[in-house]
Order: sequence, then C-alpha cells, then structure tokens
Amino acid sequence: MDSIWYKILGAVVSFIVAFIVGMTYMGLSRKITARVQNRKGPPFYQNFIDAMKLYSKSTAIHHGLMQHFGPAFIMVSSIMTLMIVPVLNDGKWFPNLNFDGDLIFLLYIMVFGPLGMALGAGQTGNPNSAIGVTRGLSQMVGFEIPWVMALVALMMQFKTTSIIDLMEVQAQSGTWLMFSSPFAFIAAVLAMLGMFRYSPFDIVGAPTELASGPVSENGGKYLFTLMSSGAVFAFAKLTLYVDLFMGGADNLIVLLLKTFAIYLIPMLYGVVSPRYRTEQAIRYFWGWPTFFGLLAILHAVFF
Amino acid sequence: MVGTPVLLVVIPLLAAFLIPLLGMIWKELVRIIPGLVLLYMFILSATLLNQVLHTGPIVEVIAGWRPPLGINLVFSPFSGFLVTLMTFIGLMVWIYSYRFKQNVDFEPAKKYFILLMMLVTGSVGIVLTGDIFNLFVFIEIVGISAYALTAFYTERNSAEAAFKYLFMGALASTFLLLAIMIIYTQLGTLNMADIASKMPEMNTTYKITALVFLLTAIGIEAEMFPLNGWAADAYTESPGPIGAAFAGIVAKAGVYAMVRIIFTLFDVEGTMQFMLYIGLITLIVAETTALRQDRLKRMLAYSSIGQMGLIMVAFGIGTAEGVFAALFLMFNHAIIKPLLFFSGSYLVYNSKDKFIHETNGMGKHIPVTSILFALGAFAIVGLPPFAGFWSKLSILTAAADENMIIIIALILIVSIVELVYYLRVVNRIYFFKMAEGVEPKKPTFNALFVMVTLGVIILLVGFYPDAITGVLHKASGDLLDKTKYIQDVLSLNP
Amino acid sequence: MDMIYLVFLIFLSGAVISWLAGKVNHVLQDILFLASVIVPSVLFYMNVSVGQEVHFKAGGIDLSWGITDFGWIFSLIVLGLGVLAAIYSVGFMKGKERRGYFYFNYVLSIMSMLGILFSKDFVSFFIFWEIMTWSSYLMVIYNGKHTQSIGIKYFIFSAIGAYAMLMAIVISHSVTGNFMIADLITAYPVLSFNLQVLIPVLLLTGFGVKTAIMPLHVWAPGAYSNSPMAFTSVFSGALSKMGVYGLSIVMLSMISHLPEGFWFREVLAWMGAVTAATGTLWAIKQDDAKKLLAYSSVAQLGYIVTGIAIGTELSILAGLFLAVMHAIFKSTLFMAVGAIERQTGTTNFTEVTGLIRKMPWTFLASLMSIIALAGIPPLGGFVGKWMLYESLITSDHYMLIILVFFSSTAAFLYCYKFLFGFFLGQEEKEWAHVKEAPVLMVIPMLVLAGLSFVLGTFPGLLLKPIDAGMQALGFAPTNQHLWDTSILFNSWGNQVALQPILYAILAIFVVFTIFLTIKGYKNTRYVTTKDISSSGEVPKEHENLTFSVNFFQPFLRAVEPVMRRQIDKYYNGFANGLEALFDFTRKIYTGNGQTYAIYVILFLIIMLLMKNNIFG
Repeated sequence: MDSIWYKILGAVVSFIVAFIVGMTYMGLSRKITARVQNRKGPPFYQNFIDAMKLYSKSTAIHHGLMQHFGPAFIMVSSIMTLMIVPVLNDGKWFPNLNFDGDLIFLLYIMVFGPLGMALGAGQTGNPNSAIGVTRGLSQMVGFEIPWVMALVALMMQFKTTSIIDLMEVQAQSGTWLMFSSPFAFIAAVLAMLGMFRYSPFDIVGAPTELASGPVSENGGKYLFTLMSSGAVFAFAKLTLYVDLFMGGADNLIVLLLKTFAIYLIPMLYGVVSPRYRTEQAIRYFWGWPTFFGLLAILHAVFF
Repeated sequence: MVGTPVLLVVIPLLAAFLIPLLGMIWKELVRIIPGLVLLYMFILSATLLNQVLHTGPIVEVIAGWRPPLGINLVFSPFSGFLVTLMTFIGLMVWIYSYRFKQNVDFEPAKKYFILLMMLVTGSVGIVLTGDIFNLFVFIEIVGISAYALTAFYTERNSAEAAFKYLFMGALASTFLLLAIMIIYTQLGTLNMADIASKMPEMNTTYKITALVFLLTAIGIEAEMFPLNGWAADAYTESPGPIGAAFAGIVAKAGVYAMVRIIFTLFDVEGTMQFMLYIGLITLIVAETTALRQDRLKRMLAYSSIGQMGLIMVAFGIGTAEGVFAALFLMFNHAIIKPLLFFSGSYLVYNSKDKFIHETNGMGKHIPVTSILFALGAFAIVGLPPFAGFWSKLSILTAAADENMIIIIALILIVSIVELVYYLRVVNRIYFFKMAEGVEPKKPTFNALFVMVTLGVIILLVGFYPDAITGVLHKASGDLLDKTKYIQDVLSLNP
Repeated sequence: MDMIYLVFLIFLSGAVISWLAGKVNHVLQDILFLASVIVPSVLFYMNVSVGQEVHFKAGGIDLSWGITDFGWIFSLIVLGLGVLAAIYSVGFMKGKERRGYFYFNYVLSIMSMLGILFSKDFVSFFIFWEIMTWSSYLMVIYNGKHTQSIGIKYFIFSAIGAYAMLMAIVISHSVTGNFMIADLITAYPVLSFNLQVLIPVLLLTGFGVKTAIMPLHVWAPGAYSNSPMAFTSVFSGALSKMGVYGLSIVMLSMISHLPEGFWFREVLAWMGAVTAATGTLWAIKQDDAKKLLAYSSVAQLGYIVTGIAIGTELSILAGLFLAVMHAIFKSTLFMAVGAIERQTGTTNFTEVTGLIRKMPWTFLASLMSIIALAGIPPLGGFVGKWMLYESLITSDHYMLIILVFFSSTAAFLYCYKFLFGFFLGQEEKEWAHVKEAPVLMVIPMLVLAGLSFVLGTFPGLLLKPIDAGMQALGFAPTNQHLWDTSILFNSWGNQVALQPILYAILAIFVVFTIFLTIKGYKNTRYVTTKDISSSGEVPKEHENLTFSVNFFQPFLRAVEPVMRRQIDKYYNGFANGLEALFDFTRKIYTGNGQTYAIYVILFLIIMLLMKNNIFG
C-alpha cells in the first residue's frame, strides 16, 4: 500500500499521536517538577490549553520572510525525524520514511531545524535571540560528540546504519542494547541531557536571563508551531532512544511506558540541577560523556 | 660577408687603436665605429658558426707557423657558439651605451669605446685561441680593459673596486704564468692541442701543481668561490652596460678557459667532482648573500656569481647532458643578465647609492622597463614558460641521471632564495609608493630597443627552445670530444 | 590544427588581447575577456573527447597532451567555475583599475589549470603548474597590499611544493628514461623501496601545498583574503582542486600498489582530519568574512583529502563529490563576499550587518551555499558528507569519524556566523543605502546555488562522470552498487533515498508556511529590527543592539587550549633564523681587498696540500 494518500495518512496520524503524547509529557513534567518543588503545579493537560490559546491569537507585526520560515524549518526537522524513526516494531505502524533514511541522515536532519530556527530568530534582530542561538550551537558541539560516539559504537558493532536493523538485532538476541552495549547507552543518555535542554543545560533559552533566547520574538501561531514542534521532536527523540536501546515497542501502551521512563531521566535530573555556563557545559560534555563514548567504541571494536 | 676567424680578433683591436685618430676627424665616429665593428663581428661569427655546424671546425693558423709551433685559432661549434653569443651581447651593449648617460663628454666616450673594443677583443681571443700563452695575453688584455672600465666613473668607490679587481687580477696573472712555466718546462710546448696529447706523459706532481695554479688563476676570472671577492664590487661600481658586458662576455670567457683546461688539456681524475662542489658552494654563498643586499646592482652581481656557480656545477656533472645543461645555462644567463642590468640601471638611474628601495613605484612611470625587468627576473629564476626554465630542467635532469639527489635538493632550495629576492624587487617596482625625491628617468630609444630585443629572445626561447638546443647539442658534443680537438689542430696539412 | 592546440591558443592569445584591449575601450575589453574564457570552454566540451591526444617535442623532450576521464571531472570544475566567475568578474571589475592585469592573469590561471588536466607528461604538467602559480601570485598581490608578507609567502610555499615536485620529476626521468606520467605509474611497483617512498612524498608535498593540508596551509588564509574576491572564488574553488587531482593520482595509481601504502593512507587521512578540525576552529574565531571563508576552505579541503586518502570506493566517491560541491558552494560564498564588499566597502562582521532586505539575492545564494557547506539535507553537501561518514564507518576508522564529525558540527557555528553577521540581526542606519549587487554578479551566484540544490536530490548526475573517472583509474564500476540517480547506498546495504526525502521536506515546509501566514499576512505589518521585545523598554534609535563582537566567546573559551599554538609562528621564526644565517654568510665578502687576497692564497695552499685527496 504505497500510494501517496497512504503516506500522507501515515504522516498525519503520526503527527497527531506525537503531538498529543509530547504535549502530555511536557505537561506531566511541569506537574512533577512542581510537586518536587512542593507546589501544586498546573494540570497535566495545561500545555493543550496553552496551545489553544496561542493558536487563537493573531500577530500584529512581523520582521520579514525569514521569520516565517524559521518555525517552518523547525517543524520540518521534527516531522522528518518522526517519519524516519520507526514508531513501533515490525512494521506495525505506518512505514512512513523508515526505509528511506538511516542514522547518519537522522543526525543531520535533527540539526536542520534548530539552524533554520536560528535563522528565523536572527532576522528579528533581537540580540537575545542571537545570544541564545550562539549558546545553543556551542552547546550542540558539546553534546554531539558523545552522542555520535555512542551511535558510531552501535553502528560498528552491528555493521549497520539503519535503525530498523538495530531493532531487529535486539529482537533476535533477546537482550536490549541498553544492557549489551551499556557504555553506549550511558554516553547517549548523558548526551540526551543536552538535547532536551533541561537544567543544567538550559542556558540556551534561560528565561530569567535572556528573555527566552531564540524564541524571543515569536508569539501567537509562531509560538504554537514552536511548542508543537518541540512536543513532536521530544516524542521522536524518545522513540529513537527506545528503539535503539530498549528494543522498540510492540504496541502503543508499551511505547508510552518506555518513552516516559526515559523521559524521566532528563526531567528529574533537571529539577535538581543548577545551570551550567556555556563553556562549562561544553567542557562537561567533552569529559565523562566522551569518556564513556570512547569506552563504547572500544567495546564495539574489540569485543 | 665571409672572413676568417682571425678577423674576429684583429678588426676590433685595430678599431680600438684607430678610434682616437678617427675621432679627431669627426667626433661622432667615436661612437659609430665600434658599432660597425661589432655588427660585422656578429655577422661574421654567425656565418662561420653556421658553416662550422655543418662541416667541421675551422682551425686557422696565424703567421704561417703551423701548430704545434705557431699560434692557431680554433673556431669549433663550441667556441664559435660562444663567440657569436659574445659578439651579440657586445652589439647590444654598444646600442645601449650609444647614448647612456647623456652628459658624457667626448673624452670619456672615446675612452669608453676604446676600452669596450679591447674588452671584446680580449674575450673573443680567449675563446678562439689554441695556444696557452696566447690565452694569457688575451686574459691580460681583458684585464686591463676591465680594470679601467670599472673605474670609469672616476669616484672613490669605482676606484676602490677597480683596485681590488686589479689586485686580484694580478694574482691571477702570476699564478697563470707559473702554471704555463711548469707546463712548458715539462712538456716543451705551448699549443693547447699538443699539451692535451702529451698530458698523459707528464709527471703527476707537476701536473697537479700546474692544474692547481691554473684553477686558481682562471677561477679568479671565472668568479669561483672563494676567489670572487672582486666581482661584486666590479659589477656594482662599473657603468650599467659594462656590468652587462662583464656578465655576458667576460665571465663567459673565464668559464670557457676553465672548461677548456679541465675537459681538454688535463686528464686528472676528480677535477669534475671538484668543479661540481666548488660550483655548489659558489652558488649557495652567492645566492644567500644576494638575499641580504640592499643595493640593486650589487644584488644582481651576486646573482650573476651564483649563476656562474650553477654553470660550474653543470659542467662538474661530467656527462654529455651536464655539458648541454651548462651551455644552455650560459646562453640563458648571457641573454637574461644583461637585460636585468640594462633595465636595472634605469630603475635606479637618478639615485646616488642605487638602493633597492629607490625602485619603489617605478612600474607606473617606466612601464616597459619595469615589465622587462620583471620578465628577466621570472626568467632567471627558471619559471616556465620563459627561457630559464628549460636550462634549469636540463641541469636537474642531468643531475638526476647521475643520482645526485642532494645536489638537486640544494639547487632547488637555492632557487627559492633567488625567487625571494627577485620577487621583493619586482613587488617594490609595482606596488610600493615612489620614494621621496626620486625622479624616474625614461629610457632612450636605443636602450628600449636593446631591452625589448632581449625580452623577445627570452620569450622565443621559452616557447620554442628547439631554436637553440640543436646548436647546443653540437657544441657540447664538440667540447667533450678531446681527441677530435687534438686531431683537428695537429693534423693540419702544410 | 588539432582542436586541443586551438583551445589553448585561444586562451593564451585571449589573455594577451584582453590585457591590451583595455587601452582601446572598456566594453570591448570585457567582451574579449568573456570570449577568451567562454569560447575555448565551449570548444572543449563540444569537440575534444576523452582519449584524444596530441604529441610534440620541445627542447628535445616528448610532450603529450590529452584528457582522461578522471581529468574530465576536474575540467567541469575548472571551466564551469571559470566561465561563471568570469561573468561575475566583469561585474566586479566595473570601475576598478588594472582590469587588463586582472583579466590577463585570470585567463592564464584558467588555461594553466586546464593544461594541468591535459598533461600526460611531467614537463607539461610542471610548466602549467608553475604558470598557474605565478599568475595566481600576481592576483594575490593585485591590491598592492601585503605584497612582501602575504604574496611572497604564498610564492615561497608554492615554490617549495613545485620544486619538490620537480625533484620527483627528474628522479622519475632518471628511472624511466622519459617524462611520461604513465611510465612512472607502470614502473612504480618495481622501483627500489627508497624511491617508492621518496617520489610520492615529494609529489605529495607539492600537491599538499596547493590543497592546504596542515602544516603546509599557512599561506592560504592570507592569500585567499588578499586576492580580489572574483578571483578567490576560482582560487579556492578550482585551483585547490588541482592539488586534489595530483594527490588522487599519486594515492590511487601509485600508493595503492605499495604494500606499505596503508601507512601513507592513514597518515594522510589523519592529516586531513586534523586540518579539518583546526581549520574549523580558526574559522570560528575570525571576524573578517574573507579570513573565515579561507579557513573554512582549508577545513573543507581536509575532508576531501581524508576521503581520498582512505581509499575505499565509497570514500573516494565522497572525496571527489565533496571536491566538486566545495567548488560550487565555496565559490558562491566568495562571490557573495565580493558583492558585499563592493556594495558596502567592508567585509568585517563587526561593521556590516542586516543586509537581508537590501541584498536578498545575495542572501539567497549565501543561504543555499551555507546549507550545502554545513552538509544539511536536501542540498548537495549532505550527499558528500553522508558518503564520507558511511565510508569512514564501514572501513573501521572510528577515531577519524569522531574528528570529522566534530569539525562538521563546529562548522555550523561559523556557518551561522556568516549568515547572521552579514544578513540578519539589527539593521543599522549607516547601511540603509546599500543596494543589491549588479546583475552580472548575482546571476552566477544563483546558478551555482541552484546547482547545489539539484545535486542534492539527483547526485547521480555528478556521480556518473566521477564513476567514469574512477574507472579510468582502475576501480570497478560503482553504479547501481553504491549509488543510483537519486539514492545512495553504503557497503552494508543501508541507503538514503533522496527524492522522497526532498518531497517530504518541501511538503511539510509549504504546509506550515501557509499555516503560519494564511490568516493575517495582509493584516500584519512589517516592523524594523528596533521594534523588538526587550523586557518592556522600547529601544531608542541610537542604541546599538547589534551582537557581533565576541560572537562565540564561550565556545572559543572552551577550545582555547587547542588554539594556543600557531604553526605560522614557527615558520616565521624559521625564516628569521635563516635570514640571520645569511647575514653571516654575507660577511664572507668583507669588502676589504686584502681579505680577498688572503682567500686566494689560502685556497691555493689548501688545494696544494690536499691535492692528492682531491685529484686522482
């Protein structure tokens, strides 16, 4: 069933599911964070309400064409990531673009969005946006290293760059890669802390410092797009981790459980951490996480 | 216009003596006669060369006494080629200096042209002669004219330079005479071919001693290290065209003499190797010294010495390809160095000390001269597609065929040094602002004509080296064939 | 006359004529210049075929010209870029002086590059190589600035490389008896081990200088930024690829037959990767766009060298593809900088900013080129990068891939700096008057940007001639096996299908752009960049809100230990030491006549004493 309508259906359904799940998780994270900080916190569906509010607002001013393209770029990146990552095992979900790209392509398409957003933010001329972007890019150089090391270790160990193949390996051997390639998992999780931009790596959009950084000038529909793209992207990344390290999922319930388990890691770590400066963040990533990445590669090559 | 080789020596000598007399009739004749003479000499030597390339060397006997008793002149492909080259450069020098410094009076002009004629006589004689004492005589003639020409601008520096030259020239003459004495007492003959044929019988100690004396003496003339201290001063302090004449004519004669001694006269092992290494040292010391110069003509002088060193290295390789490369280098140097001296003189014309930084910005004011200087600089460094590239390639190929890898590396490293100091000047000419109080001088028509001619030759040989290589191959073959030389000279029928 | 001769003759005479035509009429000069570049290129593509050869002799040496399939790839770069940059130059040079000088050297550069590709014998190769060197040198010093420091430094390094090559050439002649390149390649496997190492090392030095591999790269930042931007596009785009051409031939035809070749390849690959990483870091530090692009070029060339050095089919495909892509996008970027320089008078990020609305086409071209440079899909750079990474992983070079990936990611930093610094950010009053560059300058940029877009989705168009070239060097065909018109594979069977990806990206992009703008695009009004949210205060007109100084300060602080040492300083120290040494040798000539006389006597005495050692 390869017709174009089926493909569009798959994209739309995946998008809706990702949107709902992502927003819910973000709401849940606000709730849990609040509870840890001994407050009541907003209800878990707060993000949906925020999204509705933002959607219904209209924007009075704009700063030019690039500003419109910025959120579009980031949406492209999120949805493409979602389409490449297999959502469920064994083709139980829509195939989307699962067979048309591989891990290396994924690495690059994940960067496409933030860069596009950076360009959009740049046209507004807000210096806070620019500062936020530079911080974000610098930090990215930081966490990409252990992240790539972990992925390279996996790719070399199993001689494939396709996510589906890695899922199959886990299905065949019966163990999750989390346990058979532990170092890669640790490195990847540490890198994930940087990817999600919770504390201690939230200097990029540090609200109390930078008037929210790259998203400074966006309101209304733009901010809605950014929020939803954030939600979709979060879901896609979590699914990626589940597929790579936890053997994928056979149905949606299991997927939700596993992704939420992984999501707890950056969220809970962020709740209790202060913020790193950018160079501290970069140096941190080149320290222990890179070390684990190296161990992962050595493990992959020699064992 | 057929003639015989002896005319190549006699006519200029005669002209030199007649110039003052004829000058009393009409002043302008002082300037005209040398030109006519040189033109005639060039045409004669070119015609003879053409003949010699097809038939065989011309051996001319002087005063009826046949060799080995009498003096003879040998016009072979090798010597003929050099003579043609020298007369051509002489012609260029004459055209250039017809009106060089405008305010030169009659008296100095008379002396200048007399001395120029003598210089040419002597140099041609050195190349053509087949008798070793005759060689000495011609060397002396060259020496006297050269000393006087060095001191032409009667200033303190010129006088000092001329004095140093004379001093060392005197040393050279002494050792030359000593060597000739040894040879004569041992072998009983002064004829070069005869000496060559009798050389194997000579006592080794005497042979080597004579060789050493000869090498020292000729080495002073040929600017060999460490005997070349006089050269930089002489080139610098003499008038521009005379510097060109030294580089293009006198130095070639010196190298000819040295080569004749080593390849034809003596059969001592290790001479080639010696020449190779001494040439290498000459090259390295001269080029590195040139880098540190801040006067233009002095820089060109050291560059010239360096090229002489390179030519010696090429001869020292010893193979036919090496000799070919050396001759090619001699040809290119004889064309390019005079061009550099000619254009360089105009670049620092109105300057007293001729510093390099006074050439700043000349590119805008004397564009043709500047571009010809740049052309000469690129050519002498060996950049394609100019003439110097082919000669550099041939010396490197010759060295590679003998597996002389270190020598190749050293030559190339020195080339980079050469590049730097030439490029520095070319950049100054074009891209720097003119210094305060410096007035550019536009070259006269005759000077431009000479420079353009030389430039055209450089481009021609660069794009079509085959124009020259045929002659060079014949000439190199001729030099290496010692037995043929002996035969040609000694087997003259009565 | 054979067509090959005609092509070169037109180039050469065109160079001279366009120089002299300046004295007659400027428009005529422009037309003659364009003709002397376009006509031979067209003649070449229509009439000269691969395998066609001419032979002739010069100075007793056999010379032979003809183009191979492999050289044909590079001819695309040289002539394609040459024509486009020539059109750009005509616009660039309007109103500038010394046009004849520029045109002359430009045509000579193009001619000599094509000549290098045509040379089947080493002498022609060297001749063309040197002509390329001095004509580009004359361009580097075109502005008359820094002639002694930057210009001569460039020439010295080029000369070191060229002379190393010359040494290898004459050694090759002594071994094979002639100067033919093919003969050296066939004779190579049976040479003595010393020669088998020496010749490639010498040749690689020569090619490495032009490819700006560390530590031979120090001339590049100065030379690229000092030449006029119209030429730098060719300089960085095509000239550096001549080094890649030579390097490929050495590595693929000679070293691959050597059992110890493995070490050559590893060392060279590491040198390439280190160049890429450090070049990127230095690029991030620069505030002048020209220097930034220069260091970026050095870094990108590092990728190409690594690709070719690794030696697997996929990696060579990657290296060559990246070479062509680099020529395309880097030249566009240099052209953009030239346009900005012409319109604003400066290329410093801390001085110019906010040009997006004033120079939209330049921005568009720069945007596409930057995206291609960063290697982001769906543009062409991604294809090359993808192939490079896949080849590194599949050939077990795990440390190299980390280094390459690091420099790729860090490249995003200077990519953003370039775009933000010039085009985005605050719009300043002093640049309000700036207008778009003239049409002749904009069109080549857009053409090249479009090319990188097309090649991103249909890389097969370029991979086909590259494959033909590799087959000419002895590789098995890779069609269908490693790539298809629009799909890429790796040797493990994984793939990237580019068409579906492109369509998906375009679809999503369009959908969301419409979604964002559909209601109310007419109702929203454009505001200047001073009208921003800034915690309740409205910025006044005179307040400077531009963020450009110390743009990446945190990052640079983080990598500061790596950037402490500069190779350039070592070279300067070495050169100064040499000059001091030469000062010492100069003093041998004391100027005192008596000293000279003593030299003579000493020489004589030494010779007489040592005569038995010296002479037989």
